Amino acid sequence: MTGRQKKAHRGTPAHGVEGRLWARARSAVLALYVVLLSACATKEVTVSGMFPPPLVEPLPITIGVWYEPEFANHEFYDEAKGRTDSTWIVKTGEAQVEMWSQLLERMFAGIRPLDARPAPDQMNPAVDAVLIPRVDELQYAIPAHTNIKVYEIWMRYAFELVTTQGEPIAEWTMTAYGKTPTAFLQSDEEAVRLAGVVALRDAGAHFITSFQKVPEVAQWLESRQTAAQISTAP
Amino acid sequence: MARVPSDGCPDIDGPLMRAWRRVLPALALTGTALLSGCVTSTVDEMVFNEPIEGIGDASVVILGRRHASDYETEFDFIECIADHITKRDPSIEIIDELDFINSMYPWFEPRTAPLRPVDIDRLMEQAPVAEQLAAMKLEYMIWVDGNTVQTNSAGSMTCGVGPGGAGCFGFGTWGNASDYEATVWDFTDRAEVGRLNTQTSGQSYMPAVVVPIPIIAPVQGTACDGLGDQLLEFLSGDY
Repeated sequence: MTGRQKKAHRGTPAHGVEGRLWARARSAVLALYVVLLSACATKEVTVSGMFPPPLVEPLPITIGVWYEPEFANHEFYDEAKGRTDSTWIVKTGEAQVEMWSQLLERMFAGIRPLDARPAPDQMNPAVDAVLIPRVDELQYAIPAHTNIKVYEIWMRYAFELVTTQGEPIAEWTMTAYGKTPTAFLQSDEEAVRLAGVVALRDAGAHFITSFQKVPEVAQWLESRQTAAQISTAP
Repeated sequence: MARVPSDGCPDIDGPLMRAWRRVLPALALTGTALLSGCVTSTVDEMVFNEPIEGIGDASVVILGRRHASDYETEFDFIECIADHITKRDPSIEIIDELDFINSMYPWFEPRTAPLRPVDIDRLMEQAPVAEQLAAMKLEYMIWVDGNTVQTNSAGSMTCGVGPGGAGCFGFGTWGNASDYEATVWDFTDRAEVGRLNTQTSGQSYMPAVVVPIPIIAPVQGTACDGLGDQLLEFLSGDY
């Protein structure tokens, strides 16, 4: 083997049959690397989308809202279980704050975002109650897991309604679900993002239709109404 | 020998070329017809209280059902039906599905959408909803439920890339089936005034000798045309 041929084997432009074979082998190895790397790559999704303002008659109360840092920066992490799996990071925090802020703004006569969780020794704006949302659990499913051609996101929220002194008024949980079907040339990440947007919309819809049906909330609203009637009575 | 004109270029517009140009559109048409797979379609219709003079200046909304767990009616299918109707009768005003759902949020989400005409009364109890619907002059609400699925697939194809080029060899075939049902609600009378159903199926083929040649059966497109034609007959005074 000549010095020139040896040089060609080390990756410099090669000529002749050996050079071509080397180039092909290199391409094949590169392609294999790409396939292997894509199989165990991290898939990161930041849920973002358009959330329409709700078409509702506002409840005549002013509500404070406290987004805990875990909620405002909420992200879901699922580590790959095997070599063919991908690690998933689904970030929903920003979209959660955007959707809930818009929804609460239309749902109540007034809304005040708080800087801290209400507590007895703390100065808070004059609000009737404070709502504290939390994402307790998030699950996702992709066609590779379920063999159904649907991407899904399921969330369980926990809500606390407290007084400005932090005393509990009501506590309840609520689920939200979003799905999107597979589509031609749509990546897994885009489909999960869309499913996340649908799940957030569903969360808003569920909250609006169920808020006044939570027994403790209904009781609190009724007591406020009764107190208002007594104070306005001649 | 080709005649050489004054500019030095060979004359390619000879009798053979002219004949070829005449034959080419016919060949293209035949090719297109051959490259479309066969589709079988059945449309059932049951309507009453059909508007004789059309719907006038009122509007219509076509919405897909999306509350089932394993499928949802495709947004592009709803858009296809709406386009089919408005192209043939531009006087019919069809509200865009997504615009309608967004403007009525959260009352037409999968969780909250009315399932029966009587549920509209429950919706109308909400003053902002009633005002919005009145502003839209909504006369008919059409719900489309169903989807298109792949029923079978067979065959195999191998593709390769080399220094001399790329190519595929093999044969693939797959079947698609559509089943859609449209339910027409009269928004003023809060009553169901029609039910239309279309079932379509077709087989697509893809032979490949170097170049894959897709012979696609337009299953969803045929379902869209079938349902669109029936709805057009219902809504339009001209059809």
